[in-house]
Formats: sequence, structure tokens, C-alpha cells
Amino acid sequence: MDIFAKIKHFFVAGEQEKTTVKEPEKNEHPSLEHTIRQFENSMDFIHRTYPHCKVDVIYLAFLVGNDQLLQEIIQPFTDADEEQVKTVLSRSQYVVVVDSKECINGILNGKAAVFFRDSTYLVDIAKPAGRSIEQSETETVISGPHDGFVENIGQNLGVLRQRLKSSHLKFIKLEVGEVTKNVVVIAYIEGLANQEIVDELIRRIQRIEYNAVTDSNMLIQFIDENPNSIFPQFMTTERPDAIVSKLVAGRVAGFVDGSPSGFTCPTAFFDFFSSPDDYYQRWLIGTALRVLRFIGFLITISFTAFYVSVTTYHYEMIPHTMLLNLTESRAKVPFPPLLEALLMETTIELLREAGARLPTKVGQTIGIVGGIVIGQAAVQAGFTSNILIIAVATSAIASFVIPSYIMSASIRLIRFGLIIMAGILGNLGLLMAIGMVVIHLAGVTNMGTSYLTPLAPINFKDMLDTYIRGPFWALRSRPTIVRTPNKKINKMRK
Amino acid sequence: MNEKLSAFHIATLIYMIENNIVLFALPRLVAENMGTNGWVGYIFLALVSTGNILLYLVVYRMGKGRSMFDILEKSLSKWILYPVYAGLAVFYIMIASFVGKNFFLIFQMISFQTSNVMFIFLLFCIMVYFLLIKPVYSIGKAATVFAFMTWWTLLLTSYQAREWKLVRLTSYFFEDPAGGQVLHNWAEVYTSFIGYELCIFLFPYVNKKSKLFKGVLYGHLLTALAQVIVLLTAFGFFSFQQLQSLLYPIIDMLDFIEMPFINRVENLVFVIFVFGNLISTTMFSFASLSMVKRIFPKTRPKRLEFLIVLGVFIVGFYSKYLSQSEYQLRRVLFTEIGIAFILPMLLIMVLLIQKLRERMNSHEH
Repeated sequence: MDIFAKIKHFFVAGEQEKTTVKEPEKNEHPSLEHTIRQFENSMDFIHRTYPHCKVDVIYLAFLVGNDQLLQEIIQPFTDADEEQVKTVLSRSQYVVVVDSKECINGILNGKAAVFFRDSTYLVDIAKPAGRSIEQSETETVISGPHDGFVENIGQNLGVLRQRLKSSHLKFIKLEVGEVTKNVVVIAYIEGLANQEIVDELIRRIQRIEYNAVTDSNMLIQFIDENPNSIFPQFMTTERPDAIVSKLVAGRVAGFVDGSPSGFTCPTAFFDFFSSPDDYYQRWLIGTALRVLRFIGFLITISFTAFYVSVTTYHYEMIPHTMLLNLTESRAKVPFPPLLEALLMETTIELLREAGARLPTKVGQTIGIVGGIVIGQAAVQAGFTSNILIIAVATSAIASFVIPSYIMSASIRLIRFGLIIMAGILGNLGLLMAIGMVVIHLAGVTNMGTSYLTPLAPINFKDMLDTYIRGPFWALRSRPTIVRTPNKKINKMRK
Repeated sequence: MNEKLSAFHIATLIYMIENNIVLFALPRLVAENMGTNGWVGYIFLALVSTGNILLYLVVYRMGKGRSMFDILEKSLSKWILYPVYAGLAVFYIMIASFVGKNFFLIFQMISFQTSNVMFIFLLFCIMVYFLLIKPVYSIGKAATVFAFMTWWTLLLTSYQAREWKLVRLTSYFFEDPAGGQVLHNWAEVYTSFIGYELCIFLFPYVNKKSKLFKGVLYGHLLTALAQVIVLLTAFGFFSFQQLQSLLYPIIDMLDFIEMPFINRVENLVFVIFVFGNLISTTMFSFASLSMVKRIFPKTRPKRLEFLIVLGVFIVGFYSKYLSQSEYQLRRVLFTEIGIAFILPMLLIMVLLIQKLRERMNSHEH
């Protein structure tokens, strides 16, 4: 290609390449030999034969329950003749399969494959392994329900059904992960959720091509519109009451088998600042808490950066009374404020990460060591100034006020960018960095809705349940971002 | 999703385009060019510019929402129009660059005197690029957030209340302007409104539900209201002679504020207005982009945007000192005032001719 052609190619848009859709391959009829071949060399693979009635049963030992096995397989087939087997297999729990892939998937899901003459049947004898329902450790509330989701999807959906007794609540089952074949369930309330959003979500999940999707927080990264954004675009929660409140608001929820958290959409940036706790308090207190969280957000992103900016470039902004203390405190420190702040922020992040990884008993030690090291020793050694310690500690505390751990982690990371910009250009750098974050946020969408709702596009009604927690009598309509066909709260139009 | 701009976003967009760093010099501009109680003249100019906006409304109604390009290309040959588009594109790049650069030259009066202004301007241009590659709907969203970040600064005028004296407004009207011709002087003040004319580039991005002109008018009047509040505060806070001699009276006004935990808030408030200049620069670049896209419709995404921002950055080298920058800015803004009036009139004429022709054609049939 000559140089002109290259330049032309750089600027001029060519025709888009056509993508061809692969036809799904037709699978063969399930056969005993083929199924055995698939599972051979695996110690948990069990092949039972009943020669007197020509029945072969295949299942995976650790996935099935003893009671179920006894009831559905051993008892019916042990002394049965061929005619009796026919009657047994005509029961509704024995489902005929004609596809070998379906048969193998069934066995992998804890079913038993029953081979009788030329037909194959699947019967569910699974006994899921998992913990019982416990309190969520990442999202604790003071008042309100304490139960959290567990790793078993069946249990999670059961909990949801118990709380939301409506025939309109629908579950759609999908499968992701080329190797792991995890079950994903989309939950929504028919008539409240926007059907387009449901369909779009299903389409996106079906498009996922990856070998293993093991958690909701992982799944949402495959289906969001801005995979390179630092901000989470789907809300994930471990609390059933949170999911219920999202569903009745007209949102769509999703669960991944093996993950203790569900996700909901559409979500906006400000939704990450509300907690189910807000609704269990009086509305004025709920409002105060929300405002506190937004103040926390501002402190997290800007306090340390502002310190760096003021102590590097804008000393004139400090009132005389404070100036003496600050200069005295800074006098011993040999580093420029930017380096000092980055050092301390990194130390705090190290402490936080160590605290999260260690068992609770050892975690306490980290708290004490960290408190002494960064609290006293660093100042006495002339490593950092007292006021920076206050700034860094306040920012760290403020970041934990944000209820969503994922959002809080994102905000803590962008803080470093702000500190660096404040170190380069002072207040202007700080404002420019905030500007860049706003520009980025303005471009983010979730399921086709703006991430900055209800600020942009502006919606005053939605603000009542975003920036404040309005009294229940004032919250009369569902949020606009869910684009629900049923806008009025309190009514379920048939 | 193909979302359309709403009236509120158009209002904030227009507010942010018009309301930039000019605000800091506005009381001096008004005192210098209009004399005592110049704010009354300022209100008059706000009404004149509202009249100009109504011309655009006529274009929108007569053209049934068609874009400027569609209207012109129906009657005129592309061979005539394309050079005009190219010329205007370059002109808008110049305005974008001068508006952006001017902010940083003023900023260097306060701090960062020794820093390389082009480095700061480069960072600014990167911001403009990231905004420009987004659809105009997203630019509107960003402008809304930025507007919320600047609105609270108006509350700071309450700090001047203690020192505000009615007597400083004097009982004279339009006395003692600093010389020059009246038209030239008043045009200089009028430059503070420049930006509303960009609404013509928003025609393709709105529908009837958007209520484009409701947004433009509200945005424009909101700017006028905010600036009148600032003007009144400044006229009652400083004496007339002080206003004429202070280069940026608002900076001095902010300097007066002392809070227990923070002093010299102008360091913070002034830099917040970088967002006003950011939106102005972006929207003038957007106008330029619309022109260039019309000439080269089949381009890969983000390439033209890059070239335009590169142009903005390169033109930025041209203004080195504040006085030079102010002079250049005034020159291009005067031209833009002319364009703001001539363009809708020209379009109305073209539309009238088109209607006349259609009528004649239907009679012939």
C-alpha cells in the first residue's frame, strides 16, 4: 500500500466486514457407549447395570443424594421386569432425551441417565452441596433482614420466591461458560420490567464466549457496554431484600449458580450510594445518611488531592491560624507533598488489602500495627505530616461509607489520579481531573440508559429517591431509568 | 439508544457556552464601554441577543427542523458551499483555540507563572478531544454536571452584601465610557453572549419533544440573569473608577471572602470556570466538526475529531501573551457576532426563495 492509500485508509471508513453466524451443529442421539466414553477415567463416574431388565444407569457420585438415588433408581429397578420398567419410566420425572449433549449436561448437573432399550431418560437425583443461609459479610445492615444469598442458585431463587409472592415473577434459565456451563437465571416481574431490557440482557448473556464464568461480578463484566470503564455498571448485592426492592421498582435481576450475589440493571451511578438500610429508618434519617454518603464521596476523591494542591501551590488559601500548625508539621518532612501523599495512600491501601485477605483474628493485629506505624511512628520519624495523616485517614474512612464495595474500590483508585494531577497543576489539575471523570461518566450507559440519571438527563422526581430518601408518600412513581410500562407505584396493572 | 437532547440540557449547554471566563472581566468591560450603570445597557443587549435567537427560531420553523446544510445545499452548488464550510471550519477552530487559551493566560496571572502554558493547554485539548468524540447528547450531559458545579459560586455574591452600597451605582446612566465609538464599545460587551448561535448546529440532534428553542432561550436568559447578578454586585461593591481600572474585578471580589477554614477562594472558584471554557471550546470545535463532516462524510470515527483538536492546539501557539490573546479573541468574536446575525438572515432568504420556487412550480403544474 502506498502512502496515500494508507492515509486514505486511516481516515475513510470502509465497508464493515460481514460476520457470519455459525449454524449450531446437530448432535447425535445419546448412546450408552458414547456417554461412557465421555466420562471414563473419572473416579466419581458410576455405571450401574440391571441386566435382568436391560437397564443401564449413569451418574456422578458426588452430585447425587443417597435418598434420591434410592428412591428413583435403586428401588424401582432392582427387582423389576421389563414391563414394570416401562411403567416406571412413564412417570413424569423421567424425561426422554434425544440429544447426547443434553444427556451429558444433565449428568453434569446431578441427574442420572437411564438407558433402556433404544431410549434414554434423565431423572433428577441431585443433592446440592453448599452452606446454609447466613448473614452477608460484605453488606451488613443494623436494622432490617439479615439473611444473605448463598452459592446455590436454587436456594437463592427459593428465598426470592418466599419474599416476592407474585405469579408475575418470572425466572429465565440460561447457560454460560464453555467449560463450566454455569446456570444463569434472569428474574423479573412481568408487567413491571421493560421487556426490551429483559430481551437485551438475555441476548448479551447468550453471546458470552468464555471458558468459565463463576461469579455475578464476573458475568457483569461480559455484558456491560463500557468494559474499559473503571466504574461498575451493574449493581451487585448479596441481600435478598435489596433484590426484591429492585425487582418491584421494575428492574431486572440476574443470578449465577455458584455465586452468592445477584446483579440488577439498569443501574445509574448514584444508585451505588443507597443502601436497603435507608428504607428501614425514618425518612429524615435515611436522607441524612444519603447526604452523608455523598459528602463521604467528595471527601474520598478530593481531600488528599486538595491537601497536595494547597501545600504545593496554594499556601495563601490556608487561614493564618492554621498556617503555623501546618508549616510546623510539614517542616520536618523531606518529601514534596505529592510523594508524601502517594506514600501514605499506598500504605493505607496495603493495610486495607491485608486486612481483607487475613483471617479475622490476625486482621486485628494488622489494625494495631497499621495504626501505630502510620499514626504515630511515621510522623515522629519525620516521614509525613500530622495533617496529611488526618487527610488520608478521613478519605479512607469516607470511602468505606459507600455501601457498594466495588464502587468504593473504583473511587479509591481514581483518587490516585486526582492526587497526581493536583501535584502537577494544583487546584486546576484537581478540577481538570474531576472534569475528566465527569466526561467519562457522561459517556457511560447501562442497558441503554444514562449512567448519570437523574442528574443528566435531569429528573426531579427521581431525585427524591436518589439524593435524598423521600418519605414513602412522596415516592409515587417508579424510576424513569427502568422504562417500566407500569409507572405508578402501588398498582399492579393486569 | 439514539437519545435526543432535552430542553434542560440545551439550556445548560447554552449556559455553559456563554458563561465562561469573560464573566471575570465583565464588570470592567461594562464599566469601560458603557459607563455608569452599564448593567442597564447589558440588559438591553441581552434582549437584542434574544431577538437574534428568535431569528434562528424562524429558520427552524421555516426549514421544518432541517439542518443548515440541507437548506443551503438544496439551493446552492456544493462547489460554492464547500469552500465556505472549510473557511468557517477553520474560523471555528480559531475561536475554540482562542477561547481556551485565553483562560490559561489569565490563569497564569494568579498562579503557575513559570509553567509552560502550552503544556497546560495540551491537557485541556485532551479533555476537549475526549468530549468531542462523544455524541452531542453526552456533551450535553457533561455540560449539565459542570453547570451544577458552577452554579453554587453565585451564592458567594452574598458575602459582598455587607459592603454593598446603593450609592456606588450613582444616579447617572452611561456616563464616562472609556472612549471609542459607541457601536464598537457595545459590541465589545456583546461578545459575552456569543455562543447561543451554535444552536443552529443542534438542529439534527433534536426532535419536537426536545423543545430546542425553549432550551436555548432559557439557557440564554439564565446566563443573562447570572451575569446581571454579578454585575449588580460588582457595581455596588466597587466604585465606578475602581471598576474601570481593575483588570478582573471578580477575582478581587472573591479575594475579599475569608472563611474560617479557607481564604483566597478565587484560587478555587476561578479554576472551576475552566469548565465553561471547556464547553465553549468543545462546542466551537463541534461546529467546526459539523462543517468538516459535511465535506468528508465517509470518515472513520474519531479521526476528524483528532485533527480538529490538533488544529485547536496548534492555533494555541499563536497567542503568546494575555494582551495579544485578548486582542485576537476580540477580533474573532466580533466576526462571530456578524456571522450570528448574517447566517440566519441568509438562511431565511434562501428558504423564502425555495418556497417561492415551490409555489411557482406548483402553479405551473
